[in-house]
Amino acid sequence: MKSFGAGVMSNSIPEIRDLDFMFVIGSNTTEAHPIIAMEMKVARQRGARLVVADPRKIWLTEYADTHMQLKPGSDVWLINAMMKAIADEGLVDKDFIAKHTEGWPELKANLQKFNLQEAEKMTGVPAAAIKAVALEYARTRKAAIYYTLGITEHAHGTDNIFSLANLVMMTGHLGVPFGGLNSLRGQNNVQGATDAGATPLYYTGFQPADDPANRAKFEKAWNTDLPAGVGLNLNAIMKGVEEGHVKALYVMGEDILISEPNTNHLEHGVKELEFLIHQDIFMNETTKYAHVVFPGANFAEKDGVFTNTDRRVQRVRKAVNPPGNARPDWEILADFARAAGYAMPHYKNAGEVYAEIASLAPRYAGISHERLDRTPMGIQWPCTSTEHEGTVYMHKDGPVKGKGTFIVTNYRPPVELPDSEYPFNLATGRVLYHYNAGTQTRRDTGTMDKVGECFIEVHEEDAARLGVKDGDMVKIVSRRGGIKAKVWQSGRVQKGNVWMPLHFVEAAINKLTVDVGDPLAGTAEYKVCAVNLIPIKPGKPAQAEAELQAVRHPQH
Amino acid sequence: MSDRFNITVDGKPVAAKPGETVLRACQREGIHIPTLCDDTRLDPMGACRACLVEVDGQRRLQPACAWKAAPNQNVKTHASSPRVQKHQDLLVSLYMADHKLDESGLPIETANSNQLRSWAQETRPVSLEAVEAPRAARAGDKNPYIQYNPELCILCARCTRYCDEIEAVNAITLTNRGSETTIGTAGMKGLLETTCELCGGCIDTCPTGALVEKKAIEILPHQLERKVRTTCNYCGVGCQMDLNVAKVNGQEKVVRVTSPPPGETVNDGNLCVKGRFAYDFIHHKDRITEPMIRKADGNLHAVSWPEALKFAAEGMNRVKQRHGPGALGFISSARCTGEENFLMGKVSRAAFKTGNVHSCAAT
Repeated sequence: MKSFGAGVMSNSIPEIRDLDFMFVIGSNTTEAHPIIAMEMKVARQRGARLVVADPRKIWLTEYADTHMQLKPGSDVWLINAMMKAIADEGLVDKDFIAKHTEGWPELKANLQKFNLQEAEKMTGVPAAAIKAVALEYARTRKAAIYYTLGITEHAHGTDNIFSLANLVMMTGHLGVPFGGLNSLRGQNNVQGATDAGATPLYYTGFQPADDPANRAKFEKAWNTDLPAGVGLNLNAIMKGVEEGHVKALYVMGEDILISEPNTNHLEHGVKELEFLIHQDIFMNETTKYAHVVFPGANFAEKDGVFTNTDRRVQRVRKAVNPPGNARPDWEILADFARAAGYAMPHYKNAGEVYAEIASLAPRYAGISHERLDRTPMGIQWPCTSTEHEGTVYMHKDGPVKGKGTFIVTNYRPPVELPDSEYPFNLATGRVLYHYNAGTQTRRDTGTMDKVGECFIEVHEEDAARLGVKDGDMVKIVSRRGGIKAKVWQSGRVQKGNVWMPLHFVEAAINKLTVDVGDPLAGTAEYKVCAVNLIPIKPGKPAQAEAELQAVRHPQH
Repeated sequence: MSDRFNITVDGKPVAAKPGETVLRACQREGIHIPTLCDDTRLDPMGACRACLVEVDGQRRLQPACAWKAAPNQNVKTHASSPRVQKHQDLLVSLYMADHKLDESGLPIETANSNQLRSWAQETRPVSLEAVEAPRAARAGDKNPYIQYNPELCILCARCTRYCDEIEAVNAITLTNRGSETTIGTAGMKGLLETTCELCGGCIDTCPTGALVEKKAIEILPHQLERKVRTTCNYCGVGCQMDLNVAKVNGQEKVVRVTSPPPGETVNDGNLCVKGRFAYDFIHHKDRITEPMIRKADGNLHAVSWPEALKFAAEGMNRVKQRHGPGALGFISSARCTGEENFLMGKVSRAAFKTGNVHSCAAT
């Protein structure tokens, strides 16, 4: 990360219960990271203060001292206004700024644009609340920030993160226990996948792919020549499939036709692929177009490691055999490489693969399967030698990249704003009872008892205007496609906003979303897109059409 | 370390920290004091009376779980105090009079074990006339996971305190009075109609198996082949969990997921609804079990591994030769292990000479 050198959780999960102040922004923690939310609730019951900034009244707001219900996509405004309030009050950490950062004068000058009154207009959060939260954060020593996809899944996602990093650095909440900037990673091994080098930018262990020295090091270790520079990121690969210049894909453990944005367009490209290998545990939408299907193993059927959101490397252990002729995915990959003509070593077990990772990446050099088997708490990287105990919190001796950089951020509106034709702003997210595309949780009767079908949260005034009530079906249309779902007046969304979970194949929400990526990260804009709602009345198509005309020209 | 002091337990010195209870000091030294209502994650309640010890200068026996250690305090457990032994024998007898027993006269074993059973085996309970306590279950609770058996409940309130202090949803509570006291919900509704998030922490903390998981309820702990400690495969918290493996129709299956003991792991023994209960996918009938290739008829056909690997390798190499390595993309998975993601990077770069490799990590 450009601000201070690591886009991970700077601090640790076990620190949460001893915090005095928690600022949770763009994270539906109770539903997406339930056990971290439990720690937050324990801290709250102990007397810690909890502030939640989220456009929706998420569950966690029921435990919060303050809920800043900001307008979707206005995060940059909110955070800059908080920084201005802190600077105006003289609560900046001058020592930290002088010792550990650069770029403060430029940032400070830019903050002048973000006065509280204007911030209230732009974010919808009262100026007094913005100021109070900002000052309390600056004054509290044990204060930490938590964020997740509500911050990153925007076309301006990196601006949001830079803004938060600026806030953390200007108040010196970095390199200390019980503080930091904490990105809660969404999937079991989302951290570990990047760590391991499944990214176009880096070799294993965040060693830049465009550095010839790194390339030479891996060419020697892998005994072959390697491509120069960086490759295409996921968003660019998918664009390549749509545009026809990416002609073959090997997809492991993802249903690209559910999980990627603007799937209508993508499906057309996937159909045209010259070759598609799909490796997974269940058939899904992507399998329909595969030329080869490899049956993989799930987490209970293989050995390895996952790296969690606080950089904790932990063992995955085989409990049972995979069914039929299914095999652990690491074995399939190694065999495939050999079949394709590359002399992949004959690894006897996953521990030998890990040993190769540790030998190539200094930050994991001290980690091995054997050592993890003796360490029930796991080992947090960096762990540079077998004597190194791992790293509970980062940036202890100043930002890992040397000097932290204040990066000036300015508000940019979302790529697609509501208009007269598509008057609602749609955000997408997760519910507690399901996981991503639902491949696993929708095969469990209990989670289906709790949440069995797709729904769309609608504000009660909007519902009244549309003439729909809870349980009515509506068609949700964007410029890219349409799906159906049942209305729920949850009391959680703001007027003019709607929200849907992403777990349901039959209401594949990414037929609607925008595939414009963040210019730096390539992350797609899943959180803001303009839609219209059209009520579906069974058996009365003419009336539905009339109502459709009516809602196309709503009176705001 | 200087603030440590010693207490004496059964004649031996035991180190304690200021503010610490006698129970925690003894547990650290490995001195066994029986407990039922104690859970390190919860505030002490002193409800079950199992941990009573003799403390010099105190006329009554005192609960070790709530009694704060003080310098030079002299404590006697059942190991050295006949009075504590007598108390325990009577207490176990009273609990057993109000508890479901098996043919051998011991508290029954449940899928969630039963600490009262093991305690009865350590003590000398006498047979008392059975009490038929009118504790009510929640009739018609259709929740899919959590079963409450009132005849095994000792009202230690671990479940209700967990629901309040840790999960903080207050779905269950002690309700009614006297011998009718039971674990209830608002209006005695089923858990699906309450604030319950089905985390199952109540099952995990229950000492007697009054709360059990409905799935695989017939498989008792001694029938398990093994428990395998692993990392949850859902979100990024990295909770540690124990996969319980048993033979079902001769085949080894994961039949249950249980928590590691509190204090050992990053999740402190806590799990959520997905981690604890949503494991049916592991052995689901829809699993892909054979490698397949698409043949001339347009359909996928099961083939041998060597045939599938050869077909796949030739297909990718063909595209590479025709359009160059830049026309290939390798999509890895944040659901798979670190080793697998490493190998996907290596396959892409070393075997196919392209850096077009990414996991769904960006989202």
